[in-house]
Amino acid sequence: MRETILQALEQVYSNLVHMVAEFLPRFLVMLIIIAIGLLVAFIFKQMLRALLGLTKIDRVSEEAGASRFLRMAHLPAMSELLSRSIFWVTWLCFVLVGLSVLGVAGLQEQISRLFRFLPEIFVAIVILFLGAVIANFLSRTALLAAVNAGVRSARILSWSIRFVIWILAITMALEELGVARQTVVAAFSIVFGAAMLGLAIAFGLGGQDLARRSLERHLGDTKTENDKEPQPL
Amino acid sequence: MNVGEVDLLVGVSSRDAADTITHALGAIEQSFQQYFVRQRVVIVVVGSGDKDKRDGILEAASSAPSTRNPRQPGITSLRTIHRVTADFSSPPPPGVALRTVLAAADLLRARACAVLPPAANLSPSAVANLLKPAYHENFDFVAPLYKRHKFQGLLARNLLYPMSRAVFGCSIRELYSDEWGFSGRLASLCLNQDVWQEEAIRARPEAWMAISAIASDLRCCQTYLGEKSQPPTVAGSDIVEVLRQTVGNLFWCLEGNQSLWLDSQRSQEVPTFGPAHELTSETTELDPHRMFEMFRSGVTELEPILTVVLDPDTLVEIKNIVALPEGQFRFRPDLWVRTVYDFASSYHHAVINRAHLVQAFAPFYRGMTNSFLIEHSDSSPAEMEAASEMLCAEFELQKPYLRERWKANVEVKS
Amino acid sequence: MALQRDNLWYKDAVIYQLHVRTFCDSNADGIGDFAGLTRRLDYLQGLGITAIWLLPFYPSPLRDDGYDIADYTSVHSSYGTLDDFKTFLEAAHSRGIRVIIEMVLNHTSDQHPWFKESRSSRDNPKRDWYVWSETDTGYQGVPIVFVDTETSNWAWDPISKSYYWHRFFSHQPDLNYDNPAVFEAVWDVMKFWLDIGVDGFRLDAVAFLVEREGTLCENLPETHAVIREIRKRLDISYPSTMLLAEANQWPADVRAYFGDGDEFHAAFHFPLMPRMFMAVKLEDRKPIIEILEQTPEIPETAQWFIFLRNHDELTLEMVTDIERDYMYDEYATDKTMRINRGIRRRLAPMMNNDRRRIELLNGLLMSMPGTPIVYYGDEIAMGDNIYLGDRNGVRTPMQWNSSLNAGFSSADPERLYAPVISNAVYGYQAVNVDAQTRSEHSLLLWMKSLIKVRNAFRVFGRGTMQFLTPSNHRVLAYVRQFEGQTVLVVNNLSNSAQAVELDVQRYKGYVPIEMFGRNLFPRFGNLPYLLTLGPYQFYWFQLRRL
Repeated sequence: MRETILQALEQVYSNLVHMVAEFLPRFLVMLIIIAIGLLVAFIFKQMLRALLGLTKIDRVSEEAGASRFLRMAHLPAMSELLSRSIFWVTWLCFVLVGLSVLGVAGLQEQISRLFRFLPEIFVAIVILFLGAVIANFLSRTALLAAVNAGVRSARILSWSIRFVIWILAITMALEELGVARQTVVAAFSIVFGAAMLGLAIAFGLGGQDLARRSLERHLGDTKTENDKEPQPL
Repeated sequence: MNVGEVDLLVGVSSRDAADTITHALGAIEQSFQQYFVRQRVVIVVVGSGDKDKRDGILEAASSAPSTRNPRQPGITSLRTIHRVTADFSSPPPPGVALRTVLAAADLLRARACAVLPPAANLSPSAVANLLKPAYHENFDFVAPLYKRHKFQGLLARNLLYPMSRAVFGCSIRELYSDEWGFSGRLASLCLNQDVWQEEAIRARPEAWMAISAIASDLRCCQTYLGEKSQPPTVAGSDIVEVLRQTVGNLFWCLEGNQSLWLDSQRSQEVPTFGPAHELTSETTELDPHRMFEMFRSGVTELEPILTVVLDPDTLVEIKNIVALPEGQFRFRPDLWVRTVYDFASSYHHAVINRAHLVQAFAPFYRGMTNSFLIEHSDSSPAEMEAASEMLCAEFELQKPYLRERWKANVEVKS
Repeated sequence: MALQRDNLWYKDAVIYQLHVRTFCDSNADGIGDFAGLTRRLDYLQGLGITAIWLLPFYPSPLRDDGYDIADYTSVHSSYGTLDDFKTFLEAAHSRGIRVIIEMVLNHTSDQHPWFKESRSSRDNPKRDWYVWSETDTGYQGVPIVFVDTETSNWAWDPISKSYYWHRFFSHQPDLNYDNPAVFEAVWDVMKFWLDIGVDGFRLDAVAFLVEREGTLCENLPETHAVIREIRKRLDISYPSTMLLAEANQWPADVRAYFGDGDEFHAAFHFPLMPRMFMAVKLEDRKPIIEILEQTPEIPETAQWFIFLRNHDELTLEMVTDIERDYMYDEYATDKTMRINRGIRRRLAPMMNNDRRRIELLNGLLMSMPGTPIVYYGDEIAMGDNIYLGDRNGVRTPMQWNSSLNAGFSSADPERLYAPVISNAVYGYQAVNVDAQTRSEHSLLLWMKSLIKVRNAFRVFGRGTMQFLTPSNHRVLAYVRQFEGQTVLVVNNLSNSAQAVELDVQRYKGYVPIEMFGRNLFPRFGNLPYLLTLGPYQFYWFQLRRL
């Protein structure tokens, strides 16, 4: 009996030792991979930062209004954001590769699923981000143009444009993620149609002025409103 | 271009203005014949797309029979008056046209140059007045001065002039104009700067040129030209476009020449040739009410933008005056200056798209103009000059505010 | 080498202008004379000139440079005798050199026997030979020529107690051409010299011969009639004689003196001269083209005489005020260089002794349409003395060699009629005929070769002129054409190298031959002909089909 127990213990021990002997190198390999990944990711980050510094992307993003958006989201500047993301993406890849080396059953499959889904998430985020930037820019353009043209309810116009673009961006993002495709498209059609109707009404009310003046100008009544302002220069 | 070294060079942009360029060329030639008989001269016509048409014009102008009578020493030039054309497939923007003129001036080692619009009422004496200070007195930048209606040029009077004077210490009244003179030295200096791709330079190079002269310690002056000549294509009808070309351009110049004003202060005497700035005051049909309306609605509608652009205190005060009934509304000079400086520093920090920023300024210009028209409806020229001087002093006084805002780290506003 | 029979000789001539006083002194009295001049004819023949224009050498009180003649048929004693003159004339003719003399028809000196007789009493037969009046109110409004010295065109004669008419100085009474006897007397004078053998007359002050009330008394039809009569008689008896008009007027006004080929043979082109100087200073061909385009056509037998400098000031009458100021500022910065309305300087000092510019101007002179006149001394780049009064600064003794008095005279230097130039740059030690004959690179030898080329081609004297107008305005180019000869002249008026593209489409296929070295240049093709020229350089090309 004692013999059997000892044998079993020995068996367990040798198994354990065997397992540890088998696991430890893998674990070390994983750590090494993660460490290398850290280094590589850091190098990538620095390289991208230098590259973006050269291309003056911060200036571009400021001009496009993206920076303000980032600030609103308490995010760092564009170049910093991009280089940080490359760091994390790279390192994450290395970590996942490292984990797979451990050879834990099931984990492998989960990781590969994550890998497959990762690009779609990324694309969706980018779509949302671009949508936000474009919506912001265009709505402001419309607002300023309308205000300087003396159009009433300029802000409604501006908001409608922003709304429509947001809707479009969200729809596209969801589509990309593959979430309930049918529903999304139908919902979008409904919302878009409603927005267009709203815009048409808004323009009908607010744009009377604009239309009248445009007509006046074309029909030869040269006395436009601006003529009643003094020459600025 | 087989012209060789010249003393005087005049650049005219033809701008598709076929009918007026003939007159302009005639006026320039007459100016040479009257005031510069001995000098070696060349006219550079920066051409538009319609080559055939323009060539026809030039031919007509050059083949005009010599009306000179040897016994009556009349108007004549001792030397050949050269005409050179630079062809472009489409009318080049002013900056590109200027670059062509500068390149010609540099190549021909011109001593004095002028850039002129193909204006129908260009006078020979005006051409000469632009050239003389650079040729005879060694000035490097010659800005024009005009006789004008007292309500004309309000943007220059209320913003461009006082602000540029306060910031750059150089009191040029007409920093933005279609005609100006410069020395060959300044031409070479400007030509060699790497700015020609910048949109601001392509659209409006003249202020940058004047500021380049100041930055290099070259001398500026102003010269009286009489009535302002109206170029055939009046860009003045669209206020937003004018603001973009001038106010936006001035902000851009501020940014590019920080070393000139941010931590140092220099000032240059700008002598004036001929009578100073003259004002006339016949009645004109203006509509201050509409301007006020646009100011009021502009401030209200643009509030989300203004919160980003303006200092919170400034915004509060602006909101206060907007709330006043039209009769009581006045744009106080100190508030006006602060508003302008807020816009300038926001331009520098690019808190929003810069084109948008300048557009957002339009309602404020209208508000100021409304205030000005009402305040000065019965003012004499002397009173207006006094008010102008006060405004200049205000711009000067608040310069530390501009510097502070300019250097401040941008805070995040939501 | 005898004279060739050619009534149009003056068209092909190269004329040398001199005053006998200034050229060579044979008798050591300090004043040049005909014997001396005769000795120097070989030099002139060597230079290649074909005619001499002598300034007045008549007996005269010399109160107007000899234009106040006291005896029309003799020689001033300082210059020798009439026989000396005849010897000179014969020697000149034997060298193929013709002689043009001065003739003053308008007036005489008040020392002339005619005037002495005329003023002696109111009923003297010669009383009518001059213009007399009881009052000084006739011919009101007629301008006074010498405003600096004269207050009226009438002068009081204390002997006959009446007024006489004079357009110039008061010691130069005007002859009365309304009296046929005067004309005959003057014709006799001309006949006298023609019979001796002179080849031409330069008629002084021709515009003023006849007076008419209510006119400016200038250029009157009656004056033209007098000239026509002289020409008629010349054509009959002395057909190879040339009449040269002195008329400092615009070409359009001078044109009348050519008549229909029945008045003067030749006249000076005054306005061209300052414009050649201007063009070189301005580095612009405009002045030259402008004046030549304004020059009217003249009759077949008529000819313009052109010059760079002469015994008078460089006259600036025929320029605008603007042009005159420019000329003053550029060529006469020192006020003492200016006199009347002109510049009293010689060619070389005006060009700052720049050999290239002197050559260019001479090249222009020899290739422009007209007969060129070389002023004595300019062929060796003689200097001037602006500190001598009046225009005497350009009338200093000819510089022959570096010996005493520049080889002009063996008299004591103090005795000379004028001091020789002796400064460091233009002094006779440096600038003289001897030195330049020995130096291969000298201006004198260059002038010889230039005149030689010109003499070999009639096209220069007789050809038509057509400007080419390349875009480079610093280059003056023109084509001269006469019968079979075509010459292309290209001048760089500027102080820097120039390239020029000439439109020679008309002469496609011709080969340009450089005329000084007979070098062939590439043949003219379809493209504009490219030439490059150094500072102040010029080319003369003969165009030929080869």
